[in-house]
Amino acid sequence: MIQNLWENVLNKRKKETDIYGFLKQSFLFKDLSSKELEFLTHIVHVRHFQGGEKIFNQGDPGVGMYYILTGTVDIIMHDPSFEVKDDKEEIFITRLEKGDFFGELSLIEEPSYRSASAVAITRCTLIGFFKPDLLQVIQRNPQTGNKISLRLAEILGRRLRETTEKVTELCVELNHFKKDAGNAGTNEKHFTS
Amino acid sequence: MRNILHRENLKVLYILAIIAFGLFMLFFINNLLLSSVLAFVIFYLLAPVINYFERKGFNRGLAIFTIYTLNTITVVIAFWIFIPLLIEQFYLLEKELPSLQEGVLNLVAKVENRLGYFSQLESLNLRDKLGQWMIAQTTLFSTWIPYWVGNSLTTLFLTPFLAFFMLRDGSRAKRTILDLIPNRFFEVSLRLVYEMNEQVGSFIRARIAEALIVGLVTWIGLLIIGFPYAILLALFAALTNLIPYLGPVLGTVPALVIILVNPNLLFESMGMSFLAVGIVYLTAQLLDALIIIPVVVAKIVNLHPVTVILVIILGAQVLGVLGMIISIPVASLAKLFVTTLYQQTARTP
Repeated sequence: MIQNLWENVLNKRKKETDIYGFLKQSFLFKDLSSKELEFLTHIVHVRHFQGGEKIFNQGDPGVGMYYILTGTVDIIMHDPSFEVKDDKEEIFITRLEKGDFFGELSLIEEPSYRSASAVAITRCTLIGFFKPDLLQVIQRNPQTGNKISLRLAEILGRRLRETTEKVTELCVELNHFKKDAGNAGTNEKHFTS
Repeated sequence: MRNILHRENLKVLYILAIIAFGLFMLFFINNLLLSSVLAFVIFYLLAPVINYFERKGFNRGLAIFTIYTLNTITVVIAFWIFIPLLIEQFYLLEKELPSLQEGVLNLVAKVENRLGYFSQLESLNLRDKLGQWMIAQTTLFSTWIPYWVGNSLTTLFLTPFLAFFMLRDGSRAKRTILDLIPNRFFEVSLRLVYEMNEQVGSFIRARIAEALIVGLVTWIGLLIIGFPYAILLALFAALTNLIPYLGPVLGTVPALVIILVNPNLLFESMGMSFLAVGIVYLTAQLLDALIIIPVVVAKIVNLHPVTVILVIILGAQVLGVLGMIISIPVASLAKLFVTTLYQQTARTP
């Protein structure tokens, strides 16, 4: 019994060290000092998911973001042109591995709804950092809160730039497509006349 | 997938068992419910102060210890000043209680005589019934005091003890309980816990601020007009003010009864005495209604007045005065719970 208790305590210490080391490497928390990281270790939530388990569903109210400590997660979307959410109409977006993060928009947006679903492909251990946690950090340690918020703004800014580039690319492709379709139509007219 | 559901159902059962055990302890261990409610009040009052010290770079444990020591000193000084005053006024009231009783009975007799033509009212024999009730209450009062003091001592020691651990380990305990929640309910539970915490905290702080303002203004006002038992009456007004809607009315009753029994207590005419006391209580209520309620309380409690009255009645029937006081935050929490669950299940972006 006593040995078990000691094992538990030591195991807990090891887990905390793992989380500390992981947070230190992560982009969002990389500006934090060791004292701030230690404080954050007691704020974040460690969640375990089985393979095939849904982490969240598209359209669910979102509360925060997840970092992948171990395992693989798929991000999928339901085609909005289909009214019934059927597995067949799922669109695969991306596969995320250890060190990746997702759901960060929910930390800022109010009210927030998940724009895609996340599914654990293998057994996963995720570190959850949620809006109430961020608010708690800001309330108890504003300097740490500022550092995290700035990094978060940087991530969201980068995501926005990437999205804008993608939308521009798509617009250009669409214009080319329209032009090609127009030319093809004129050629067809010339041919028929 | 079946394995996941089985594991999650076990977790739900485990949490429900913890909640059931907690509720059992609260209702069956003497004084634990009252002590817990008071400890929560202290927790919500001190948490922002401790957070402030933590922001300034203090260690949380040290901040809690410092605030606790400062508070203990303040409470001891306050007791030193106010308790002798309270005891003095209490003895005075005890001495005058028979004459006050007689005065109330005479008043009822006068009313009965004036309304004598209502034969049914006479047959009710209000004066005798009221007299018997008052004698029974006075006897009960004198036997109840030692029991109440004994209970208060337990509460007095248990409350700060519970509040200290809530402040020190509350966050860790909350995280441990949240860790037990199954994945599919985790985010919604986290959101609920956060919003409930914010709502209850703001509500308690606003209510205490209201009670303090009402008590202080009533005390100063009654002192200015030279009304007896000023501190006792102010304390009563502050405590009853915790009951929404009915509280402010209840708070004025003792002062009005004292004037009815001693019409010439303050001025020659009873009307002037009523006016003076009325102005004091009205000023306190106006300050409360114009400053505290619109700025703080209205934003926190989003309940219809009819709902408020109904839940107060329900609270009174279940838990008496304590039920009347805690019925509003409990009802607003229930509303928040239902709304959040509805949003979660409806999934309407």
